[in-house]
Amino acid sequence: MELYNVLDFPILSLAIFLPTFGALIIWLFIKNDNMVRWAALLTSVATFIVTLPLIFSFDKTTSHMQFEEFHPWISAVNINYHLGVDGISMPFIVLTGLLIIICIGSAWKCIQTRVKEYMISFLILETTLIGVFSALDVMLFYFFWEALLIPMYLMIGVWGGKNRVYATLKFFLYTLAGSVLMLVALLAMYFEAGHTFSMLDLMNYKFDFQWQFWIFIAFFIAFAVKVPMWPVHTWLPDAHTEAPTAGSVILAGILLKMGAYGYLRFSLPMLPDASQYFAPMMIGLSLVAIVYISLVAMMQRDMKRLIAYSSIAHMGFVTLGTFVFTQQALEGAVIGMISHGFIAAALFLCVGVMYDRLHTREISDYGGVANVMPVFAVIMLLFSMANIALPGSSAFIGEIMVLIGTFAADPSALVISAKWIAIAATISVVLSACYTLWMYKRVIMGDAIKDSVKSMTDITFREFSLFAPLIILTIWVGFYPLPVLDLLHESVAHLVEQATTSKLDAATALIEHSTALNAVTH
Amino acid sequence: MTEVVFPFPFPQHLELILPEIILAVMGMVTLMMSVFISKSRQNIVAWTAIVSLVAVGATLLSVSGSDHQHTFYGYFLLDPLSTYAKLLMITATVFGMLLSLNYIKDLANVGEYYTLMLFALLGMMLMVSANNFVIMYLGLELMALSVYVLVGYQRDVLRSTEASLKYFILGALSSCMLLYGLTFLYGTTGSFFFAEMGDIIAGTGDNERLAVLTGMLFVLAGLAFKVSVAPFHMWTPDAYEGAPTPITAFMSVAPKVAGLIVFMRIVEEVFQSLQAEYTPILIFFAVLSMAVGNIAAIVQRNIKRMLAYSTIGHVGFILLGMIAGTIQGYTAIMTYMTIYLFMTMGVFAIIIMMRRDDIQGELLDDFAGLSKVRPGYALAMGLLMFSMAGIPFLGGFWAKYAVFMAVVEQGHIVLATLGVLFSAIGAFYYIRIVKYMYFDEERVSFNFAKSVPLQATVVFSTIVIVAIGLYPDPVMQICKLALAGFV
Repeated sequence: MELYNVLDFPILSLAIFLPTFGALIIWLFIKNDNMVRWAALLTSVATFIVTLPLIFSFDKTTSHMQFEEFHPWISAVNINYHLGVDGISMPFIVLTGLLIIICIGSAWKCIQTRVKEYMISFLILETTLIGVFSALDVMLFYFFWEALLIPMYLMIGVWGGKNRVYATLKFFLYTLAGSVLMLVALLAMYFEAGHTFSMLDLMNYKFDFQWQFWIFIAFFIAFAVKVPMWPVHTWLPDAHTEAPTAGSVILAGILLKMGAYGYLRFSLPMLPDASQYFAPMMIGLSLVAIVYISLVAMMQRDMKRLIAYSSIAHMGFVTLGTFVFTQQALEGAVIGMISHGFIAAALFLCVGVMYDRLHTREISDYGGVANVMPVFAVIMLLFSMANIALPGSSAFIGEIMVLIGTFAADPSALVISAKWIAIAATISVVLSACYTLWMYKRVIMGDAIKDSVKSMTDITFREFSLFAPLIILTIWVGFYPLPVLDLLHESVAHLVEQATTSKLDAATALIEHSTALNAVTH
Repeated sequence: MTEVVFPFPFPQHLELILPEIILAVMGMVTLMMSVFISKSRQNIVAWTAIVSLVAVGATLLSVSGSDHQHTFYGYFLLDPLSTYAKLLMITATVFGMLLSLNYIKDLANVGEYYTLMLFALLGMMLMVSANNFVIMYLGLELMALSVYVLVGYQRDVLRSTEASLKYFILGALSSCMLLYGLTFLYGTTGSFFFAEMGDIIAGTGDNERLAVLTGMLFVLAGLAFKVSVAPFHMWTPDAYEGAPTPITAFMSVAPKVAGLIVFMRIVEEVFQSLQAEYTPILIFFAVLSMAVGNIAAIVQRNIKRMLAYSTIGHVGFILLGMIAGTIQGYTAIMTYMTIYLFMTMGVFAIIIMMRRDDIQGELLDDFAGLSKVRPGYALAMGLLMFSMAGIPFLGGFWAKYAVFMAVVEQGHIVLATLGVLFSAIGAFYYIRIVKYMYFDEERVSFNFAKSVPLQATVVFSTIVIVAIGLYPDPVMQICKLALAGFV
């Protein structure tokens, strides 16, 4: 079990660079499209296998970083190649490994042009994603965070739909404009905290309120765009609609998690006082996302757009859970992120399966699909139910924990009573049932009237095998979430402690708070 | 027989100026060669020039040391900073000549072209080694006159001659401003030596204050003209567009390096005591350059014009390092220019290759669908564009990073924020090229020039940019060493 630790085997580095290495081999040596597909699949499976020891030899009894690696990188400015995972980041690395396999599998047939470039982009994307979740040096984090834009930009732009150019430029510029501010914040923190980019050092440094205030705003903009939170969410439906199936899967499955992960890694532990101060705003925006975006989702005629809006609403639950600072809510937020990774990925795959057959995503072009695709209809039903957070699905665990945690939140920290927040959030469960079931009804149920629908064939073994792991995980986490919660528990407890411990001295806290506010408001 | 007596003592340490002497001699040798060698074999001149540049570089390395060395009674200075700047400019000139080999073949007077490049380089090398305004000005004019001619080298092309004329008139105007400012400074201080002037200015009373400030203002404006800082950038897009493309590549790097080194020296040594006065001016220059460069580039349809505005934007970022005014700030400037050199040469090599019969591919539309026809070049161009936009794992990111770090350290957080926002705006037009290459269908087919020097330039500069992106430490360390003893 501890063999990996004993040998100091660089699992994380291997997981990061194996995909790039595979991409390099494909680029240089493989010509045939089919060989490219197999090589990419092989690389992604190998990467996934490499990440598995992260789960199995993970020490659940500690919140310390594990599997750490440390090498000096840019000594001129004290940037280090420092990797490590705790219970919060580790699940995302494994999830990335899994979803990339599914993405490559889903692109098997529907990507016929420039297969080689497609697979290379995907593998490089995997490198950057795993890098983001394992970086413990903030500049290394930023490095991967930004580098990710390149493969994602190409993926939507080259293999996307009709409006892809608009969507991809919007995606690129929104996220770039958001995250460059983070760069300034990171540099400011570096000098304030005594020339260090180490995430762990920054978590321990006591920033005064004025600093926390401004740095929080910079981080907020960067992460809110990525999550995305209302009102900077508009790039997401466009990007989703135009992206190829696998692009949507990875976008919803992993990319959106990066923003929420940023709050957990940066905002809460490094800026606890500003986080407390801004919590009402964050909760308010989360509620808007949950309720308003659910209503918007209901009006969609394009299935991918509907699921995209539904993703925004579900990520609202995650940000809500993040900013009420209770153990349950935070664990619920992380579970919600993981579970959304399964469910949204699966729903986009469902749309992809139908799109491969009829080349349309309009809800009105379908109807009665169940008659011709019974197996598929069951799978889609399962994930539609999971999207509603029906008990027994992983989403239920996440949402219920967020709601319970919100009820239990410290009322003094919140502007309005926690009860009302929770009630408002609960409304969205009803709303999500409305839009999901309504879509399901219009697409799957009824008689197959249209000829095009009658010609559809049920899913193949290849397609089924893409869904299989997601089905198992959704139900397994839904019924027996304990193993996952165990992984999270210590790390989340530590995070809650960090987030609720003020970095200001008790005596000066109030004064600083008010003077800083004066400085800000005047 | 009467003994020959020098009217003045012979200068000591003359070997320090040996690289310049070799360069001057080779400039004249190539000029003679171009007269006597038949037109079809003029590439011999080019290769002679390139080989002599390598010799100049090698001599430079052998005479330079780790400390300040003077000759010609202190007029000429060789310190690590000028050595490094000279190496950058020599590299840029070598690249410029490699890019010219095929491009310039069909023009008249091919040989003189390389001679002019050598003399332009000589001027720049004098500029960065100047310890005194007189030498600086002589170098500046030698460089500028050579470049005016080079810009107008395609004398049958209307826009080329027009560009040359525009550049000449505005360049002459800026020289006048520089000289005008110098008269004020000389009148107040009675010296042309940087350090001596700086000391006297630091001690001036209120009476001379106005004269000193006026002088400073005009000197800064004159220099701003030379490095195309907004609002003195007007000539840049026209000159870039009209010049032969290899010259555009050359003049977007080498004269900028020379100009910025002089800028750095003057700000640091002469106006040291006036920091409170010049900082707002520099901030104005920097912010306006970033804004004008990055916003105006968006509407350009010609890639050379677009890159001209992009240069203005880049100079704006570089000025941020000067505003910081610390060793980190100057290191950032050197790092930025080093990385910018390779990005620019790679990009222009690709542009030069895009030839359809006699027509040079210069419009953005010409890039449409390049990734299908020439995936290798498209990949290189894409990487270079992402690098210019400052996206990580490419060198350009660290260039911007170093600059922002330096200004944030000095507490200019608002300035850094403006900087990153403009860099995000700038990303738009860089990634638009990627959009054309990868997302659009091919419109016109190009016969790519098959030229080993061009291909080598593209491959080499792309590899350098990726390598710097992944491991920038050596470049940053070298740039830091280059500034030893400067601040």
